[in-house]
Amino acid sequence: MRKALPWILPPLVVVILAALPWFASPTIIQFGISTLILATLSQSWNIIGGYTGYASFGNSVFYGLGIYGTAVAMVQFGLPFWVGMLVGGLLSVVFAVLLGLPVLRLRGHYFAIATLALAQVMSAIVSNVQVAGGNQGLVLPLFRGDKMFYELALGLLVLATLTVFWLSRSRFGFGLISIREDEDAAAVMGVNTTYYKVIAFALSGVFTALAGGIHAYWITFVEPESAFDITLNVKMIIMAVFGGPGSVFGPIVGAFVLQSVSEILATKISSLAGLFFGLVIVVAVVFMPKGLIDLRKRIGRLGWRYFTRNVKENRL
Amino acid sequence: MGAILEVKGLTKRFSGLVAVNNVSFRVGEGEILGLIGPNGAGKTTIVSLISGTLRPTSGVLRFAGREIQTLPAFRRAQLSIGRTFQVMKPFPGLSVVDNVAVGALFGSGGGHSDLSGAREAARHWLDFVGLAHRADQHADSLGGPDRKRLELAKALAMKPKLLLLDEVMAGLNLVEIDEVIEVVKKVRAEGISILVIEHVMKAIQRLSDRLMVLHHGEKIAEGHPDEVLNDIHVIEAYLGRRRV
Ligand SMILES: Nc1ncnc2c1ncn2[C@@H]1O[C@H](COP(=O)(O)OP(=O)(O)O)[C@@H](O)[C@H]1O
Ligand SMILES: [Mg+2]
Repeated sequence: MRKALPWILPPLVVVILAALPWFASPTIIQFGISTLILATLSQSWNIIGGYTGYASFGNSVFYGLGIYGTAVAMVQFGLPFWVGMLVGGLLSVVFAVLLGLPVLRLRGHYFAIATLALAQVMSAIVSNVQVAGGNQGLVLPLFRGDKMFYELALGLLVLATLTVFWLSRSRFGFGLISIREDEDAAAVMGVNTTYYKVIAFALSGVFTALAGGIHAYWITFVEPESAFDITLNVKMIIMAVFGGPGSVFGPIVGAFVLQSVSEILATKISSLAGLFFGLVIVVAVVFMPKGLIDLRKRIGRLGWRYFTRNVKENRL
Repeated sequence: MGAILEVKGLTKRFSGLVAVNNVSFRVGEGEILGLIGPNGAGKTTIVSLISGTLRPTSGVLRFAGREIQTLPAFRRAQLSIGRTFQVMKPFPGLSVVDNVAVGALFGSGGGHSDLSGAREAARHWLDFVGLAHRADQHADSLGGPDRKRLELAKALAMKPKLLLLDEVMAGLNLVEIDEVIEVVKKVRAEGISILVIEHVMKAIQRLSDRLMVLHHGEKIAEGHPDEVLNDIHVIEAYLGRRRV
């Protein structure tokens, strides 16, 4: 019975979250939509960053492609929303394969820097493309239906999480994990590392782009700077790392906890909110570098030693 | 005796330094070929060239009759070439059994498709190398000797036809060395051909069917282990140098 509880918990949480819009205030629903989208972004980053070990700063490009794919399809071509999402998703796959092939050869910091540069380049390109509205951006048709956006965002998060759950217990996922742990050893054991990395990048990209599509239609206004915003990429990473990278639920927990903290701080002490937020993260990284999920697993056994051991192991 | 591996004119240059220079040799079906030579002779480089971790500057590698020098490392693994790393490469964040399961999942011919089957196979190989009692621990909690065993189990789980062992006995005590020698003999009894690099002369003598000596990237001797070791003592006496 005690063992069965964790298995019942995730579907139960999903049901409760799905029912929420029928009880909660519009403010809560809006908070829910943005948090669910962030959790999806963090979970998507988890596939390439947490499981495969490639710290991507290029996921904001996928997000931007999802936003612009949807916006251009709807505004310039009058296509329905779901077709726009499809366009954004396809663009991100093409991008993941075309740019992943060269960029995923780079390791460590070099990969991070290369993807960071890509995000800047894409923002500049889109600013100069006529069909994307240039610097002015695009205004999407207005659709008042926060309930729908909420349920869509929840559905996408569930889909992304099911994918990550599958990764955690499949041959494919083990291939990714072995690449993260030691790419040379993975290769001589038979893992087609290039193929695995590109697929992981594309999977990460598709979910990120779909989240971008939902965001675009919800916000109804898109412009290059916010669509390809690198600070959003940093946020995905912080949430995933805070919650527990390479775990199934860590990035979601990270997103919900940090979003709640920053929301509370923003209403209570708006001027110092940023500072506090930064402080929470620094303390978290120092005392629990493997995230909340790891903390929950081991604090029972180790108690306070859990923190001192982390500090020692990381030679801080 | 047919050759599982034929190496012809193998050369590897690292920006100026010739680490392996025009080396040719063969490993017979079911044979254990010993490879010795001083540090920096190019032994590890040869293993990396065969496994595909490094690409040769020139030369031909034929495995089971098929040229492999242009194939990527993972293809060679799928064709059933397994190797260990002298500088060990465990997957530190995974349990010991999952480390080995990766070999069973991918390895020769693409390996198992399901995780539970792979883990079962992994436990078999952990038992084979005497590491079964550590199966559920994290790999980074293992000490040196057990890490060596883990390297071996990971390679074996791939079901290789050719196994390249790069100093799996370095840093082990005499008892542990004897244990690993027995394991390697058991591996050979399974019909696996082996290229073994070792500084431990006792092990080399007891295991090798033939022995090859590398020096400054060149092959300087090859033959029956007793004769080659004898020649080496002569050379050492002449040059006044220890530790070949
Ligand atoms: N990746 C590399 N880049 C440059 N030089 C290397 C590299 N790997 C090995 N070497 C050099 O090649 C020579 C042979 O090294 P190695 O094959 O490791 O020798 P051994 O295993 O016999 O001790 C050494 O001089 C070493 O410094
Ligand atoms: Mg060596």
